[in-house]
Formats: sequence, structure tokens, C-alpha cells
Amino acid sequence: MPEYITKSFSPRFSFPQDPTAAHYMFHDDPYLMPKNSATARLFSLSKESGRNAAKYIIKEFPHFFDKILAEPNIPSLMPEICTPQIEGVSEEALRERINLRMVKASVDLFDQLLQAGTSISLETTNSLLDLLCFYGDGESTQEKESEEKEDLEESEVNASEQETPKRPPQRGSHPFASRWRENNNAERIFKIMPERNAHSYCTMIRGMVKHGASAKAYDMYTELLNDRHKADVHTFNALITAVPFLKDRFLERWELIKMFLNHMAQQEVQPNVQTFNAVLKTLRRCGGVGRSMAVPVIKEMEALEIEPSLATYDHLLSIFYRSADLASSGIISEVLDDVEKRSFTPQDPDDAKFFISAMQVCCDLKDIKLAYRLNKAVEKGDNWKFLDMDRLNSYWSRFFSLLCMMEQIDVVLKWYKEMSPSLFYPSPKNILDFLQALDAANHLEMIPSVWEDMKQLGFSKRRDLLEEVLSLMSRDQHPEEIQLAFAKCAEDIKTVHEQSGRDQASVEWTGSALGSVTVLFSRAGRTQDAWSMMERFQQINRIPTDLVMDEFLNCAKQTNSPDEAIKLVKLAASLGLPSSQKLKSRVEKEFKLSENQKKALESIQSDSDSSDSDSDSDRD
Amino acid sequence: MALPVRAPPSRKGALPLPPEVPPPSQDGGGHGRGSAEGGGSGDRTAWGALPHIRIPALPASCSLHTTPPRLKTRAARVRVGKGDKAVTYEKAHPPHYIAHRKGWLSLHTGNLDGERCAAQRAVEDSFVRRFLHGTFPGCLADEAVLKRRSNSLLVCLLLLRRLPPSKLCFLLGYAETLLSHLYKCPVRIEAQTVPDAAVYKYL
Repeated sequence: MPEYITKSFSPRFSFPQDPTAAHYMFHDDPYLMPKNSATARLFSLSKESGRNAAKYIIKEFPHFFDKILAEPNIPSLMPEICTPQIEGVSEEALRERINLRMVKASVDLFDQLLQAGTSISLETTNSLLDLLCFYGDGESTQEKESEEKEDLEESEVNASEQETPKRPPQRGSHPFASRWRENNNAERIFKIMPERNAHSYCTMIRGMVKHGASAKAYDMYTELLNDRHKADVHTFNALITAVPFLKDRFLERWELIKMFLNHMAQQEVQPNVQTFNAVLKTLRRCGGVGRSMAVPVIKEMEALEIEPSLATYDHLLSIFYRSADLASSGIISEVLDDVEKRSFTPQDPDDAKFFISAMQVCCDLKDIKLAYRLNKAVEKGDNWKFLDMDRLNSYWSRFFSLLCMMEQIDVVLKWYKEMSPSLFYPSPKNILDFLQALDAANHLEMIPSVWEDMKQLGFSKRRDLLEEVLSLMSRDQHPEEIQLAFAKCAEDIKTVHEQSGRDQASVEWTGSALGSVTVLFSRAGRTQDAWSMMERFQQINRIPTDLVMDEFLNCAKQTNSPDEAIKLVKLAASLGLPSSQKLKSRVEKEFKLSENQKKALESIQSDSDSSDSDSDSDRD
Repeated sequence: MALPVRAPPSRKGALPLPPEVPPPSQDGGGHGRGSAEGGGSGDRTAWGALPHIRIPALPASCSLHTTPPRLKTRAARVRVGKGDKAVTYEKAHPPHYIAHRKGWLSLHTGNLDGERCAAQRAVEDSFVRRFLHGTFPGCLADEAVLKRRSNSLLVCLLLLRRLPPSKLCFLLGYAETLLSHLYKCPVRIEAQTVPDAAVYKYL
């Protein structure tokens, strides 16, 4: 065990030298430094959006920024020229607008040129088609990708492990859902083109697949075959990714993939790494068929001497480790063997998901050694670049959960001190796991410091964490100083419950929380505080448990306050508790009562007899 | 007729005076100070102390070159008031304390021997200060300190915590990018937030 610690704690860039500092992109100021992962993301995004706002202003008013002050000139600080220079209706003007990515303007210019009767070369038309298919007939503004919808369909697929019955084609779940309108500009231009070559067909197919019109893409492909053209490798990749939307049954999907691959071989198109990634991505949604076919696909890849990228491994892991009970395949260690040896470069947009899913698999398998190996793989070469700040946070968060489950407490504590809050911000689940680890290792005296961390992270109002903390503290009896520390912590939590700031809702007391706080106050000998807690039970319509009342009596006995004891019995009687009898007898036996107090105690007894209670009350 | 020349009063044992300006001559009627008729020389010197008040234009006179009033006794000084005006250390000290009790707000090498372009630096500085004043409305606790290190411009800001931190991050990112593109050099803003501006005294 220790060797893993020393190796992983070696001073490398992934472990910052200062464990209390935040990421270097944030300003070093207590107000501007993020405290948890949500604020970290918020601050980094707001800084980025500030930069984008500045770039927008520079783009809108370039005449303020185009004076050349630096010798030599720095082109990246000069405004870009994004208005077309060539006026008039000509092919050069069209090409310029295509270069500037002005979709609407180029389409208008194209129509004008056609009306004027000038013939436009095939290349220019093809580049216009490229532009239109890339942007899908909208403008070149930023669009958000919805990856969650894809995952949703995958989880549906895995829920039912057989071949699914025919479902209505789920257009809406495709990332660029239904943005390919009927007879939009691209189709229109394609139809009126006098001559088309392979490039035109390929562009159209790729555009249709990208924007959700998979059936049309398939039709376009058959047209391409009819015209006896050859498709290129990117088109085939696009078609393979579109397969899940063309067929629903697993076996049919696999047959279609095989057909495309055969066509590729016939047309002598060399596959590349993205081809295989596309195949594996589709196999992810083929359930059992996918699992049996994945390994032959990898072997084929090796035979063709194509180096797999991280996305390949990511798809592999998802195919084999999707559902929770399939832990039998040892794919993960083979994958780690490969990943450890190499430093990867980004080749596929899905590469970045690998490390997160690998760490998730390690967590599911509850294997800490694999996790350490994965950490080493991250540190190798350029692999750390695949984890940006967001992903870094979730990666280390999962790793920490695994640590808490599997490792000794001193190792956990060491990692906790080193890593948070600089490398990652603990999530609420991490705090819960950490508390359980402390519980398992009998280190509950650390709970007040964990509470301080919770306050700093902003989790002080989360009810589940508060319940956990309070129940752990109040479960057992502890030595004196620890009990005092716990009582101070409980007081803190009490103020949290009671403060009602301007725009904060105060946290409601629950019965167990209130009971725990009372017990903690009682054990520390703070009778007054404990009594004020007891009074709140009625406010929230809850009944204190027997344990609570016993502890309170113990406390009253220690601090020698029989008045409080009598008040407790009165409270118990008014609530009609069955234990009020026992309490009364305890008070009589253990406390030295004055005459008045004895009389008060007797009068309570009579109250409880007359009230409706299902206790067998014997009159003494 | 020559002007009466008054004998200077005896100054036995006093410090030597600078050499005396010869009394204004009548020839040429030239200097505005000197144009002969009317008034004793005492009145002339009184007029010369306020050069923006021109002596009424007389024929055959050339005028003085004057500058607009520079009010050197009022520059960068906060006037004493009732005692309710909170004033920072920076504002409380008039400019003759620079290099004694104050530092400089703008540090560059333009004023060293053989260096050029000090004036451009001054213009850039004043623009940057106005820009920051507008971009962070009401949030500047004190004047910004501008430091130039080789090619880059470091802006050291002291901000109040008036805006939520995400908005401050937005404005800081915006200001950095915009100033970099404007001045074609890397601009870094180092901000520090304080709950209140530090008051040195009340004037």
C-alpha cells in the first residue's frame, strides 16, 4: 500500500504544490475564489463569457482596434476582417462570402447569380453545399449539444436486454434534432445543380446525418451508388453513426454496419480510427450483439494497424460495463495496460470521456488498484490534457469516493488534505462517504473539522448531511473534550437552523435532528440549552425519544437542577408519553427534591392520570 | 520723462536678493508691463502676478505668452471640510509628498534618460483609468496602480465587494481582453477585493 502513496504523491504538475490554492485561472482573493464545484464552474464560465463579450465588441467596432501599435505587429490582437470586401454579383464574391461563413448572404448571392444566368463552377457549388450542410441551414451561431439525450436512449436500451420491439424512430433524441427541414436550401441547390460529383453527394449525406435526417441520408447514399460514384471515408463514418436511427433491432443494426463496411472494402476506401470508433459507438446501442462483436472489431483494428484512440477504449468500457451485474469481463485491465503505455493525442471528440468512465468503472468494481493505475496513466505524457477543470473535478470526486470505501483512514485523510479544495471540490456524496469512513475507523472526533469544511463548501443547509453529522455525533458516548467539541458543533448547527437571512429559507428542524442536538447538549452538561431544545419539540409537533429524555435527566442530575427535571416530566405528561411514569419515578428516586418540588411532581402525576393515555398508570 | 526710481529700502544684514530687474524703460513702449503712462510701478507688478488678466490693449503693444491657469496650489489636494469626508491615504496627501510618503500610481521607464514616449504612456494611463472607472461602476476602492513590465501592462485594482463574484469575474475577463486588443500588449489585471475602502482620515 505505501508504495502507491509515495508514487502518486510525487511532485508533478497534476498535484499542485500548494494544497490550499485554487486553480490558477481564478483570481487569488478570498472573495473571488470559488468554494465548491458549482461556483468554480460559474466563475470560470463568467470569465470566459467576459472574454467573449470583449471579442464581440472588437468584432462590432473594428475601427477602434485596428491601429498598429506593436512592432512587429501581433495579428492575433488585431480585429478580424469579417465583412466581405468584394462587392457585386460574381463568383469571387460568392467564394469570399463562403469563406467568411455567411450562410444567408452566400445563398442569396448564389440565387442572384443563377437568375443572372452566369454559370457557377462545380467547385464553388460544392463549397457552398459544404457550408450549408455544416451549418444545417441556420446561421453560424453557437449551438448547444445535448449529449444527455443520447445517454438516455442508451440506458433505455440496456434496461431491456433483449431485442427491442419496433419503436417509433426517435428523432428527438438525436443531438441536432430535426433541424433539417424539408426542401431546405441545401436540397434545393442540390437538385438544381446541372452536374454533381461524388463530393456533392458526400457532403449532402454528411449534412443530413449531422442534422438528424438519417433516412434521407440513406436514400442519398443509394443515389450515389446508382450514379456509380465512390464515397469517401468520412461519409462512411457518418453513415455508420446514423445506423441506430435507421434500424431498431440489434441484429439488423449489425447487419447494416457490416453492409457499409463491405461497401467500403469494395470501393477501396481505407478505414481510419474514426470508422472503428463509429462502429463501436453504434455497437454500444446493440446490447448483447454489441458485446459479442466488440472484440472482433478491435482485432480487425489491430490487423489494419490502426492505433486505437481513447474514444475506442471509452466505447469498449461502456459496452462491457454498462449494466451493474456484468463484472465478469476483465476488459478494464487490458484497456489499462494499453493506456498506461502511451501518451495520447486527441483524435475523436469522445476521447475526453474516457478517464471519467474508466474511473466510474473502477468505482463500480470497487477496485482501488485499478484506480491507482489509472492515475498513473493520467500523469503520463500529455494525457492530463484530456481532463479540463470540470472533468477533473468529477474524476477526482469519484476517486475519492472509492478511496473512502476501500482504503485505510490515514490514507484517506492524507488524500483529503492534499486534494481538497485545490484539486477538486468535494461533492455532498463525497462528504457522506468521508463521514462513513471516519465512522468505520472510529475517528469520529474529526467530525467538527468536517463540519467546518462543510460550511466553507456551502453545504451547511443540506438536510441529509446535517442529519448524518448529527446522528453520528450523538450515537455513542465519548470522552469529555470530544463531547464538548461536539456540543459546540451542535450549537453551530442550531444557529444554521435558526437563521433566516434575507433570501435564505431557514432549514426546518426534523425530529431526529432536534433529538440529536438535545442529546449532545445534555452530554456536555449544558442544561439550559438542552431545555430550550426540548421546548421546540412541541413547535414542530414531534415527540422526543426515550433516549433523549433519559440523557436529559442524566444531565439534569449532573448539574443538579431538579427544576429542569420536573419541567421535563411535565412536558412528557402533557405530551401523553407512556414513559412519563418511568421518568417521574426516576426523578423521585435520584433527585433531592424540596417540598415544593415534591408537590409539583405529585400534581403532574394527577394530570397524567386524567389525560387520555394508553399507559397503565398506577397511582402511587 | 523718466519714471521715478525708488531707492530700495535698506536691507542690512538680510539675505542677498536675486539681481534686480532693471526698471522698465520707456523706449520702445514695448513690454506690457512697462507702457508708460499712468500708474506707478507698484501697480504694474500687482498686475503681473495674475497673468491671465491682460493689461488693457494699448496701441503698439505686443501681448504676453500666457498659459491657462495651472492652479498649482489646488492640484490633487482634498480641501478641508466639516470633518465628514472620508479620505484614503492616497487622496489625503498632496502631490509634494510623492516619493516621501506616497509612491507612484503609474510605473514605467518613459521618464528615464534616453527613453522616449513618456507622453504616450501618460495618455494610455489616463485612458485606462477612465475605462476602469466606467467598467467597474462604484466598485473601485482606490486608484488603480499601473505597472509596465517589458511588454506587458499590469493593472493592480482594489475593488469593493459591491457586485457578486461571478459578475466581477465577468468584468475582469472583459477588461483584460479589451485592453489587450486595444493596446496590442498583454494586459493582466490583478484584483484584490476589500469590504470597505480604507479610510485614513476625515476631512
